[in-house]
Amino acid sequence: MEAEDLYIKPGNHERGWNDPPQFSYGLQTAAQGGPKRAPLNKRVPPPQLTGSLCPVSRATPMIPFSPPSNPLAPPPCSMNTPLQSCLVAAPPISGMMMAMPPPPCPVVEQTHSASGQSESEPDVDDVVALLNWALAACRHTVKKQVCDDVAKRLKLFEDMWKSGKLSLPVRRRMNGLVQVCPVLLLSELKSRNWDAADEIHRALIVDHVNEVSQWMVGVKRLIAETRNLNPDLLHTPEADPIIDNRSTADSE
Amino acid sequence: MATYQEFIQQNEDRDGVRFSWNLWPSSRLEATRLVVPVSCLFTPLKERPDLPPVQYEPVLCSRANCKAVLNPLCQVDFRAKIWACNFCFQRNPFPPSYAGISDVNQPAELMPQFSTIEYIVQRGPPTPLIFLYVVDTCLEEEDLQALRESLQMSLSLLPPNALVGLITFGRMVQVHELSCEGIAKSYVFRGTKELSAKQIQEMLGLMKPAASGPQGRPVAPQDPSATCRFLQPVHKVDMNLTDLLGELQRDPWPVPQGKRPLRSTGIAMSIAVGLLEGTYPNTGARVMLFTGGPPTQGPGMVVGDELKTPIRSWHDITKDNARHLKKATKYYEALASRAAVNGHSIDIYACALDQTGLLEMKCLSNLTGGHISMGDSFNTSLFKQTFQRVFSKDYNGDFRMAFGGTLEVKTSRELKVSGAIGPCVSLNAKGPCVSENELGVGGTTQWKICGLSPSTTLALYFEVVNQHNAPIPQGGRGAIQFVTQYQHSNTQKRIRVTTIARNWADAQSQIQHIESSFDQEASAVIMARLGVFRAESEDGPDVLRWLDRQLIRLCQKFGQFNKDDPTSFKLSESLSLYPQFMFHLRRSPFLQVFNNSPDECSYYRHHFVRQDLTQSLIMIQPILYSYSFHGPPEPVLLDSGSILPDRILLMDTFFQLVIYHGETIAQWRKAGYQEQPEYENFKHLLVAPLDDAQEILQNRFPMPRYIDTEHGGSQARFLLSKVNPSQTHNNLYAWGQETGAPILTDDVSLQVFMDHLKKLAVSSAA
Repeated sequence: MEAEDLYIKPGNHERGWNDPPQFSYGLQTAAQGGPKRAPLNKRVPPPQLTGSLCPVSRATPMIPFSPPSNPLAPPPCSMNTPLQSCLVAAPPISGMMMAMPPPPCPVVEQTHSASGQSESEPDVDDVVALLNWALAACRHTVKKQVCDDVAKRLKLFEDMWKSGKLSLPVRRRMNGLVQVCPVLLLSELKSRNWDAADEIHRALIVDHVNEVSQWMVGVKRLIAETRNLNPDLLHTPEADPIIDNRSTADSE
Repeated sequence: MATYQEFIQQNEDRDGVRFSWNLWPSSRLEATRLVVPVSCLFTPLKERPDLPPVQYEPVLCSRANCKAVLNPLCQVDFRAKIWACNFCFQRNPFPPSYAGISDVNQPAELMPQFSTIEYIVQRGPPTPLIFLYVVDTCLEEEDLQALRESLQMSLSLLPPNALVGLITFGRMVQVHELSCEGIAKSYVFRGTKELSAKQIQEMLGLMKPAASGPQGRPVAPQDPSATCRFLQPVHKVDMNLTDLLGELQRDPWPVPQGKRPLRSTGIAMSIAVGLLEGTYPNTGARVMLFTGGPPTQGPGMVVGDELKTPIRSWHDITKDNARHLKKATKYYEALASRAAVNGHSIDIYACALDQTGLLEMKCLSNLTGGHISMGDSFNTSLFKQTFQRVFSKDYNGDFRMAFGGTLEVKTSRELKVSGAIGPCVSLNAKGPCVSENELGVGGTTQWKICGLSPSTTLALYFEVVNQHNAPIPQGGRGAIQFVTQYQHSNTQKRIRVTTIARNWADAQSQIQHIESSFDQEASAVIMARLGVFRAESEDGPDVLRWLDRQLIRLCQKFGQFNKDDPTSFKLSESLSLYPQFMFHLRRSPFLQVFNNSPDECSYYRHHFVRQDLTQSLIMIQPILYSYSFHGPPEPVLLDSGSILPDRILLMDTFFQLVIYHGETIAQWRKAGYQEQPEYENFKHLLVAPLDDAQEILQNRFPMPRYIDTEHGGSQARFLLSKVNPSQTHNNLYAWGQETGAPILTDDVSLQVFMDHLKKLAVSSAA
């Protein structure tokens, strides 16, 4: 998952007042497992009960609502304020929060070393070919109707891509998803990487549900079925992508 | 005292328990004089990443009416391989598998650091989790589209082996068959006709010949898909169900002008409960109701279909003008009880601009441990993310939700159990530990919590039963054991056992020690839950009077003062925050129904009586942090005096996060200083509260609303209504009563409240 997949969108203020911002799937899952900052849960006792006889108002009285001085004095300048280092560089005091932007979120499990993939436009034919290859491998053991259903959805995915209906993040992430599979299919199965493909599919459906909902379930099923395959099946000559494209196009 | 703070924190971290008193008064009389009962907040499934579960059955005391679990407080004779139960003193032999134990080779459950321990037990074949979606189709197209997408997305979040089902409703109720092939079929029910569980099961073809498994266990079918066409494994039907959801249409029945759509929520829920009852009783299951408006037809209707008749308000309720309220509440309570008996939990996701009937339907979730989420529209981030978080996972990659919980509490003989308040139902388990004085859900030592999460917290109330003159042995301790059985989301059956002990103390001679063991935070939440529990059945003003009375008595008991001299009044540190908590509690939406609809109150109370201590305290007295150039961020008084022009305030009420920019800050922001490189520290200042808010927003369930406002902004009212109005001095002394029943007036500032409190506490005319 790239850093671009960790984002926050504003909420839908047209439909919900004070709708909170929406976090991408990557940000949410990173937050759930990650270390927590010191929680904001400290309180101040009221002055009247700290033993003092007269209720000393700890807070200064509110400045009356006079109009701002003319001209408005600017905020303390960074260069002059010695406190700047306190705000920016000092380590957090227990229970207190630091005024620092959060460190960049750790990138969720890198699936492969992208050879500049994230920059360049992924190739639809490569992606589709790999998906079809996996599907062909499944046809031996998985029910025909299921395979046809998956094929139908892969076709829909391809059409949507080719007609420009899929946004770049979706295209890019689908490319990332399929890259995971052949690495495995050609080597030993390690469940960890199947989980990575699964995570990508989940991230896509959470973040881009309106684009992917119709066909993503086909990809999900494909991952699930290929995971269960006998590894030998995936090495057989029948599972050759070139032959496969024609056969899936003909199947009804 | 510093040491008690540490002790309290360590115990919470290890055992998930916070007691009101950590030294217990040794007689019943003294306990009642302490005002706050001996009670605790208990989080049964507190997250313990450092606690690996053990893979064997717990060892139980052999006495029939005891059955306590072996724990670190038990005396053990390692040579004779015998242990003495610390609750009933029965001597029990160890089972054969413990033959090898010794002083230096102790089983985990005897070691003090395992006062909380979790067992994985194998009881029958693993049973899958079940998710039954009940979807309202009387929604606007935009909302329905958003809901469709959320439901389709959720299929990817469910565990692959989980069973899933779909019921849709509007004027009619449709139960969808989820077969893998062919045409989609559904069974249609009239939304007006009430049916018994048996009738529903017959009509759906669920009546099997008597093929029940051993008592209490669900029948684990060889092929689940054969038994129930309506509940199928996700991995088999996900593609079909995705299409089915994608093709869901709005309810086709036209809605005439001036009318509401006919929504048969009551029948839909009845069918859902009946379907699960007939197919998978005693299995972890979640019914998830998605509704966009109130039930308007059939049993359980909350309002008629004429728009000119508004849905009941508090005014209607107090004037006894809410036609459907009693009947609808009773209807849903009956459904909730049936679901609870079967161990099924019910969630309600209500998204609408007007009320949806949460007041009547809340028991569906409150009795079963399900969630209630309240939003404006399904097409909002609030709903979408709250819903996503239902499926959040823990550090092990397992779902946080747990099912089918039962909690049993055992006490040493000096204590009895008065009751519990939280998302539970009574299991009516009588026994020697049951007190006759009920507080909350009482008359039992066992409760069922069908839906659990790591933050689910119950308040448990105890009664000290020792007579005044019965001596307590030197250094004697009372003990309580909490045994929680539940189904983990990975379908394992688990048992978590927590055993704690506290010293008895003679209140006559050791009152200072008892006082320093007081946990004011826990006590505030514990008393607040009692208040909310009462508020459900009593009048509002009565509850406030009761709360005030308890506070005054507590101050009279523990305050240091000279008689009739209010200015001399002082409270020790262990009680210093307590009056402030009570002040804010009185003003909170849990006890003040003014300015909140009945549904909103139900929603707030629902979350209040199940959250852990930290979150509950935030709800009672919101947290306020101040950000400025004068130093690091710091907590400040929840007071109008904290609102200053050169500060940014972050207020967390649990349900809302408010970031408020003071007047000068707002002007600077408007002038754009943050864009200029020389004023980078101003940019940092602006960002600081946002970062802290983000942490909260990413983790909280349910998702709070997020308000970014400034001095003079209309949304600033959220902050202004919560802070203590100390600057505007309410001239309500005319209302203050010098004689008669001590009532502290409403809408007073904290200062006035404290003045009254002190006056009443020191008064010799008690």
